[in-house]
Amino acid sequence: MTTQPEASPAKEAFLQRIRQALGRAEPATSPPDHPPLKTNLVRQEEKLRTIRAKVEARRERNAERLAENATKVGWHVHRVETHDEAAAAVAAIAAGLHARNVVRTAEDCFRQADYDGPLRRARAAPIILASGRNRSRDSLKATAFDADLGVTGVSWAIAETASCVIVPRRGVARLASLAPPVYVAIVGIEQILETLDDYFATVRLEHMKGRGHVAAYANFISGPSRTADIEQTLTVGVHGPGVVHMLIVGRE
Amino acid sequence: MARHRPRSGRSQPSPRRVKAALCVTCLIDQFFPHVGEAAVKVLRRLDVDVSFPEQQTCCGQIAFNGGYRAEATAVARRFLDIFAGDDYVVVPSGSCASMIKVFYAELFQGDEATLERVRQLVARTYEFTEFLTEVLEVDDVGAKFSGSVTYHDGCHALRELRIKQGPRALVAAVEGAELREMEASEACCGFGGLFSVKFPEVSGAILDEKLRHVEATGARAVVTTDCGCVMHMAGAMRRRALDTRALHIAELLAGEGG
Amino acid sequence: MAAKAAAFKRSSAVAVRNPKLQQTLHHVVRHFTEARDAAVASEFPPETWEQMRERASSIKLQTLLNLDFYLDMVDRNVRRNGGHVHFAADAAEANRIVLDIAKRNAVKRVIKSKSMVSEEMRLNPTLEAEGIVPVETDLGEYIIQLAKETPFHIIAPAMHKTRQDVSRLFQDWLRSAPTDDIKTLCAIARNALRQQFATADMGVSGANFVVAETGTVVLVTNEGNGRMTTSVPRVHVALAGMERVIPAIEDVALFLRLLPRSATGQRITSYNSFISGPRRASDEDGPEEFHLVLVDNGRLNLLKDERLREALKCIRCGACLNVCPVYQKTGGHAYGWVYPGPIGAIVTPAMNGFARGADLPFASTLCGACKDVCPVKIDIPKLLLDLRPEAARRTGTWAERLLMRRWVDMMRARESLERSSRLARLMQRPLSREGVIRRSRLPLLAAWTQARDFPAVAEKSFARRWRDGLSRAEP
Ligand code: SF4
Repeated sequence: MTTQPEASPAKEAFLQRIRQALGRAEPATSPPDHPPLKTNLVRQEEKLRTIRAKVEARRERNAERLAENATKVGWHVHRVETHDEAAAAVAAIAAGLHARNVVRTAEDCFRQADYDGPLRRARAAPIILASGRNRSRDSLKATAFDADLGVTGVSWAIAETASCVIVPRRGVARLASLAPPVYVAIVGIEQILETLDDYFATVRLEHMKGRGHVAAYANFISGPSRTADIEQTLTVGVHGPGVVHMLIVGRE
Repeated sequence: MARHRPRSGRSQPSPRRVKAALCVTCLIDQFFPHVGEAAVKVLRRLDVDVSFPEQQTCCGQIAFNGGYRAEATAVARRFLDIFAGDDYVVVPSGSCASMIKVFYAELFQGDEATLERVRQLVARTYEFTEFLTEVLEVDDVGAKFSGSVTYHDGCHALRELRIKQGPRALVAAVEGAELREMEASEACCGFGGLFSVKFPEVSGAILDEKLRHVEATGARAVVTTDCGCVMHMAGAMRRRALDTRALHIAELLAGEGG
Repeated sequence: MAAKAAAFKRSSAVAVRNPKLQQTLHHVVRHFTEARDAAVASEFPPETWEQMRERASSIKLQTLLNLDFYLDMVDRNVRRNGGHVHFAADAAEANRIVLDIAKRNAVKRVIKSKSMVSEEMRLNPTLEAEGIVPVETDLGEYIIQLAKETPFHIIAPAMHKTRQDVSRLFQDWLRSAPTDDIKTLCAIARNALRQQFATADMGVSGANFVVAETGTVVLVTNEGNGRMTTSVPRVHVALAGMERVIPAIEDVALFLRLLPRSATGQRITSYNSFISGPRRASDEDGPEEFHLVLVDNGRLNLLKDERLREALKCIRCGACLNVCPVYQKTGGHAYGWVYPGPIGAIVTPAMNGFARGADLPFASTLCGACKDVCPVKIDIPKLLLDLRPEAARRTGTWAERLLMRRWVDMMRARESLERSSRLARLMQRPLSREGVIRRSRLPLLAAWTQARDFPAVAEKSFARRWRDGLSRAEP
């Protein structure tokens, strides 16, 4: 990472005013007692082991719950056994849209099967959305905004809220799941967590293990882009995708 | 569900009669004395030994809500003196009862000696219907009415004192009365004390909606725990010459038919 | 200034006389309250919901009590993530900070996702004055930006606009064809805003939460404009009231359960973004610069008051607006500033040292519906009561003051009360008929009798009746 930005010169005075408002002259010497900040690495790992065990034991149940909740909030849910089936499903969606340009990311799931072949056979051109040597920031943007369909894997899915968690990184552009009007998320059954708590406990462990480093961005996608800003009438697809598909791959 | 008492409470004299000091509220005292009389009648019918500390004036709520703390404090102190003792204090108003039970503690913040007196008072203070259903444990007070009645949840009774089922049980047990729930019975009527004169247009608009809901039930009367709401609703009903009446619940419970 | 300080009386009276507004309000407010009630009741037993509120309330309060500590933690962690952190004492300073960033980056166009703080700052006019074009991208905010208005509701800024209003605005500004179809209107906005997203150099967002532990800004949105704003332009600036902090990343789960349910009745919104600094070198896209601006702008007035500080727990869900009988009739604009409804009636005068909204603490019937729905258990009526003495000093009329002085004299002794009521009975004689007063020009009484009859003082008070025989129990 590049050098860390300097602290603002206004910071100390700002904090001092707050202390005065709270009736304290000095900075607190010991941190306030807030249990979620206190657990150590050992205990957090223990917590995660419990979560993983729970999630493993209830895979099918959580997949069903995810599917049910997702349907309620507007996902089109498809359950398939294998990535080959998933690839076929993606191609079918593209064909149904007469999609020409399909942008996708480059997660692990795309190595589990050939996703691009079926797409090409459906007359769509799959493009991996990545910046880097031969694609400038602007051309990545243009490609994403032009696409008819976006396809990505996920880092996690959360059954409680029907959320797909996208963590952008190398190979995973932010715009793939945002710019195209139709979006497909590929969720491996082993990626499904049960609750929001499971997810944030996971993030915390990563944060602890990474010595305070976190991903620059994470996103929950929990249904189509929606607005009710005109006459409280629900309308989808205002800025993000209006149609969203969730492919749950695997069955227990 | 209804807990019955013999029609004549006296036929089974309890070893010691319950003693209650009536805090009649300034509004009832000056504008609705018949409501106070009704409350006395109901309490006596249930064999309560009712007293009326004659020096009482007001609990101080008007000044407190108006932002006049010094004035409110003076009047509230006086109230503490007048209602000292061990008797229950019965208040036929959810709003005044809340003033005593909830807001005196605000008013006397930091004044430990007075707060101790407040706590002592709070422990024996009850809103009228609360006193009937929680202390005397009756639903059927031997009242009669003919026609349907809808119940408006006075805001302070409902949200400061959490009084909701008690008054309904009391109404339902009135012989000849049919309880008809209105839409949004928990919605404020728009009175709000000083609010009603500070923002009469808004107050009136809120009231319109409440009256629409009352009228939609087709009930003969809307009853509630507070004369503030009664004054507000009845004032508009009269102005518009509506047939529906607004009654304090004590009036309904004192009724002997008609 | 005095007019501005006590403007609610006039603006609210205008609002209740606007039938179109009344109709919209009725419809929208009902929609929100029903959705919220269903979302809460269908999923949690009341005790569970209560425990969640209790926990959220206590986390927020503890954070406020240690705000210096947690803001320091925010600062260190955001910088560790490679972001810049700025501290702004007031709106002017916050504007200066944003302008500096914009100028340093030669920014010509700014896209914004919803930020109430930017409304406080009046950032848009500030940018415009410097030749920078701000474009609101939340559909509701976009509509009111075109209409040159302020938000009507925390959650639904343009709820007072009908489809016809929106169509006319789009015809004027975007030269679109007239339409009555909401879907079409959304599509028009989508296309217009796509251009803006693609060409803007800077994105400005708000922050629903700022997580101290990880230096993460959390955005809760439905449209996707928040993601665009924070992903597409080269620079992202997040504006946050200094009280937006929550301590730990694991606290987020609780707040994400409370906020959308209370706001729109959703289990979760379509998008939640977690922003921890600028893009990393290996990332494919995302902003190269990230700035967090922490804004005081009068919040200190609340923080330093042991009781008012509770209002800083607010997570801006808007639930208290929807259930408020006053808001239901007046809508948001009557409140005169950025934050309407019950919470606005507290923070507007408090943040502005009573230079605005001095009569707002009275703009409540104290019915308490707000405190029952508030997901962080702010006792709104109590705080309004706390503000009333100051509000009375600033806005009380002579008649009211005189009345209060008379009132306390009157209530000091039974004898004086009876003297006064004798006098009142005498005075009301020419006014009252059949036990009521129908019209009067006396202050206060005139207000009452606008739409209601007023009961005449009874001929015999209760106390008198008691003395006259009621004291003796009947046989
Ligand atoms: S005060 Fe409570 S209910 Fe009102 S907006 Fe804030 S959090 Fe929501």
